[in-house]
Amino acid sequence: MSSLLLMRDIDEPGLADIAVYERRGGYKSLRKALAMTSDAVLAELDASGLRGRGGAGFPAGRKASFLPKGDMDKYLVCNADESEPGTFKDRELMQKSPHMLIEGIVIAAHAAGVNHAFIYIRGEYEEQAKILDLAIAQARANGYIGERILGSGVSLSLVLHRGAGAYICGEETGLLDSLEGKRGNPRLKPPFPAIEGLYGGPTLINNVETLATMPHIIEMGGAKYAKLGVSGSSGTKVVSVSGHVTRPGNYEIDLGIPSREIIYDLAGGPPAGRQVKLWFPGGSSAPVLTAEDLDVPYDFDSLAKAGSMLGSGAIIVVDDSTPVLDVALKLAKFYRHESCGKCTPCREGTNWTVRMLERIDGGEATPMDLDIMASVQDHIIGNCLCVLGDAMAMPIGSMIVKFRDEFEAHLQSRQLAGAI
Amino acid sequence: MPRPHQNLITFSVDGREVQAPENMMLADAAKLGDVEIPVFCYEPKLGHPVGACRMCLVEIEGIPKLQTACSTAVKDGMVVHTQSERARVAQQAVVEFLLINHPLDCPVCDKGGECPLQDITFGWGGGKSRFIEPKRHFRKPLELSPLIAIDRERCILCYRCVRYSQEVAEDYQLVLLERGENTFVGTFDGHPYVAPFSGNIIELCPVGALTSRPYRFRARPWDIEGSGSLCTLCPAQCNVTFTVRDDRVLRVLARDHHEVDDGWLCDKGRFAYQAVHVDERITAPMIRDGGELRTVSWERALAEATSGLRRAGAKTAALAGGGATNEEGLLLGRLLRDVLGSPHLDSRSGGAVSLADWRALSDPALAATVSDLEFANAVLVLDCEPVDDAPILELRIRKGVRRNGVALLLASARPSALDPSATETLRFAPGRGAELAWALAAALQDGAVDAPAAAAGASAEEVRKLARALREAGEEIVILYGEQLLDGDAGGLLALADALGIAEIEGAGLIGIPEAANGRGLREAGVLPNGGPGFSAPPLGDGLDAAAIAAKLGDGELSALYLLGVDPLRSFPDAGAWEQALEHATTVIAHAAFLTPGVREHATVIFPAESSAEKEGTVTHPDGRVQRLRPAIGHPGDVRAEWRTLSELARLLGGAAGPATAAGVSAELFASVGLYNGLELEELAGHGVRWPARAPAVARSGEAAAKPKLRRAAQAKGGRLLLGSYRSIWAGPEVEASPALRFLAPRQRVELSPRDAAKLGVLHGEEVLVSDDQGELRATVVLRDSTPSGTAFLERDLARDGANRLRGPLVEVRTAPSGNGDVETLLGEEELTHA
Repeated sequence: MSSLLLMRDIDEPGLADIAVYERRGGYKSLRKALAMTSDAVLAELDASGLRGRGGAGFPAGRKASFLPKGDMDKYLVCNADESEPGTFKDRELMQKSPHMLIEGIVIAAHAAGVNHAFIYIRGEYEEQAKILDLAIAQARANGYIGERILGSGVSLSLVLHRGAGAYICGEETGLLDSLEGKRGNPRLKPPFPAIEGLYGGPTLINNVETLATMPHIIEMGGAKYAKLGVSGSSGTKVVSVSGHVTRPGNYEIDLGIPSREIIYDLAGGPPAGRQVKLWFPGGSSAPVLTAEDLDVPYDFDSLAKAGSMLGSGAIIVVDDSTPVLDVALKLAKFYRHESCGKCTPCREGTNWTVRMLERIDGGEATPMDLDIMASVQDHIIGNCLCVLGDAMAMPIGSMIVKFRDEFEAHLQSRQLAGAI
Repeated sequence: MPRPHQNLITFSVDGREVQAPENMMLADAAKLGDVEIPVFCYEPKLGHPVGACRMCLVEIEGIPKLQTACSTAVKDGMVVHTQSERARVAQQAVVEFLLINHPLDCPVCDKGGECPLQDITFGWGGGKSRFIEPKRHFRKPLELSPLIAIDRERCILCYRCVRYSQEVAEDYQLVLLERGENTFVGTFDGHPYVAPFSGNIIELCPVGALTSRPYRFRARPWDIEGSGSLCTLCPAQCNVTFTVRDDRVLRVLARDHHEVDDGWLCDKGRFAYQAVHVDERITAPMIRDGGELRTVSWERALAEATSGLRRAGAKTAALAGGGATNEEGLLLGRLLRDVLGSPHLDSRSGGAVSLADWRALSDPALAATVSDLEFANAVLVLDCEPVDDAPILELRIRKGVRRNGVALLLASARPSALDPSATETLRFAPGRGAELAWALAAALQDGAVDAPAAAAGASAEEVRKLARALREAGEEIVILYGEQLLDGDAGGLLALADALGIAEIEGAGLIGIPEAANGRGLREAGVLPNGGPGFSAPPLGDGLDAAAIAAKLGDGELSALYLLGVDPLRSFPDAGAWEQALEHATTVIAHAAFLTPGVREHATVIFPAESSAEKEGTVTHPDGRVQRLRPAIGHPGDVRAEWRTLSELARLLGGAAGPATAAGVSAELFASVGLYNGLELEELAGHGVRWPARAPAVARSGEAAAKPKLRRAAQAKGGRLLLGSYRSIWAGPEVEASPALRFLAPRQRVELSPRDAAKLGVLHGEEVLVSDDQGELRATVVLRDSTPSGTAFLERDLARDGANRLRGPLVEVRTAPSGNGDVETLLGEEELTHA
């Protein structure tokens, strides 16, 4: 049912060691890519139809082609600040197969004509950082990183940088500021990083999974990769399933299979006797879907059509044992805590939303407050400097629309409890 | 970098067709069509927009999301709606978001009535609030510094102050701490934000979060009037607006003039207004009677002065400085030359420069403008420290380097605050700027560098390196020099300008920073020993320069001294000689606002001086801009206009009765000073006129005639160090007299290199005695890594223990005897602490 690419060898013992990785065919794609021109590599990436796995789903080949040609300092940054609640795919990939990521980075750097690469890994991934550091040293010793890689004309330095624990540093421009040693705040776009990114130079930023997919694309060829999955969402995707399922974990799927298959067949569905109430198809920032949407095909376009998004591919399942208000409050508090405070709607709107939800939970509200809360979400969406504000407002907004009755009932029961 | 070329395009905003320069930000371009787009964080002076406040969201046809007008460059054919339903909803939403945590304490807020948040709420807000939760609370108000109060509840986190500190002043002190709704503006570890230009954040703040502590609760906007004039505390002559209530100055604000100050002020200019209204200020005439000063009537003081001057006649000398106007300079020259028959007057402390050289230096072809500093290929800062000598120019230099990639080249004796921004730095011996100019000129012409470099106390190799950098930087080179280097010899500087071909190049030129705030104007008005008005030949022949005046007063050949806005005992070199001179003078007449030592101990007649807020007349900026001072308040106490006193004295001594109005004197100035011919007071208006911009270039001749006059620099030996001196931005009686600024008034400190300190066995913060055969003074040791070994730097122009107590060139530094109760440490001083 599913083609295994990224997770084919994932449970191979010792895969993090370069000898095992090479034995399993590792770094062959790199040799193949280095024998190709950078334009040819770019063409394969383009042909693969690979869309970014970090959340935005932008075509990866096109993104790499945006970098200007020329001799200026250009950078590749691997975004390993996997902070979206519910998302833990990059952790497993880096922990178990760090060389796959490194191989992908060198291939992408070659394609984009970049000589300096960074991996920005979230501070909490201490173990993964150690594994990567070791892997980078091995790759360097074996000539996969450094000057004139494997005798080709391609040179690349690779540095691992650990973040200090902020969701906003997963936003690509916030990440760049943080990497430069500044406060991690998003930058105004344009200019986009491809033109003016790290240290002012053209910068390609890709998610771990996106980069880790590249060796497989080179291995099988872009056209063949494009045949996997469905039109508009080619290839495979590692999906992190968590919440009320009996077998949470990472599953590699062909894009386009019914969501129900992932939640029930792979992850085992909710515990016996409980029903799916709502689910986040792509991390906590995605508008929620309900049990009615379980048959929506799991791909970029179908989920967008259903009013949500594939995002980072993290499915969070909530069953009928949990009040929707608890979900909303937990979520809003997370975004309030992580808002960088730079732009007004996000800084003030996340705070206001939390306060209103707390008041509803405390029974000190009226249904009119639900209208105000919905309107506050509307005022945040599209008006912020980066997408963090939207990341709270979209799911909360969708919950108010889809579970208005439950919110009102919750409010009423709390009021009654208060009156007694 | 050449100035950007501007292409006009047409776009539409709210149905109006508007022409604007291409790529101008929409927020600015809309104004050209009389459409206002509200902004908080946007301020072009702070550099690139940040798009943080989201107030300026507008709808642009063809773009699905609303865009921030502050960061959207306008393009031809763009169609913008600032008042569409979507835009209005978003604008109202942002106002609502901003206000939910704002205390709305407008009735007790200093900003109330002149507050952009109030205005924008009124103009673009929804008019009601739906927020009923408790507001965010911070402790307030807190001292951000002794000058600035911070109220974090009022703060809307627009980033302006932080961007200013990081990207304009580059003091890197203000930062945002914490994040999200807990974000607040602060400094590392809560240290006070003390910096030369900190006060600008008060004006930048669009709400009442940053307020002036001296102004706090002093007035509401409807109580006050603004009065445009100039700050004359230093040669930068920034344009200011005095805030006046009941005939008192309560505040000073910047009056943006791109060619002068770029809209910024230093803290001295912003807060020293307090000295206008302090009890220490002299507000009535005084005479010395039986050794004691006492207040008298104007008639009595004038009579005393007249008889003293009449007795001395041609044996009178005069010095002018400070903020004395061009008109006062002209009248002083007439009093001395035409009425008393004395040619001895000066406005500088250094050796006289030949009249031919003054004319050459004033050649319009060699003149640079302040904005040239921003767009030149390279700026050479030569023998001056901008932050001390003309503070606001430092910000302009930083702007050029940061935004336009100007190459900054620095040649100075003392390490500069601009060193980190410079691409080349060169150190030479104190007081040898003229020799260094000769050396640079020689290096540029591939001549003999070794002799002048050695005389300058610089390495010949470094001189060549700097010359190479100058040659490779491009054509447009501006030389910003301290006029102290013109100590008897301008030849080197002129040779340097010739070697660079500055005269032929647009955007290249010289700007000299004089010692006195109006040094250039006084010189052009004829307050020179060897030059009359407009560098005409002096009618009575050459007189004595300042140093010679001191000597001749000391040995009795001169008997009277007229001091206009200057106390040589405090601010001229060789206090010992001036002590002698003042001791021996039978008549010393001083126009003074404060009883500085020379005035207090030696003046026989004191006329109360006007503050710049009271003065009427003109002054001349270092780039030749004649600017107009307008009185903001009336004269306090018995103060009278100084030009009137000078006129009156001339009349009482039998001279011609001058014009009866200030405007009349200005007209005479413009008629008498050739360079100013044709100027009219009215056209100076609010912006002044650069006379070099309308004067023809001067044809110069006999270039080869100038031969280097090289004075060999002394060298440290026998444990004695070479003495250098500087005047801090915080020097001056106005700082000492302003309650708010007094904490910054410098006490003597000696800057040493850590190496010399180790050899001498003295520590940072330790009290030492610095001495030479002339005298001795106490100072606190400050170690600076960048201070050249073998050199010690002391401050000039202090209330006591000024550097002019010593003559140098070598001084001895030794630990002060202990047990002296006067010992204070410099703990908490902002400079640095070396382990």
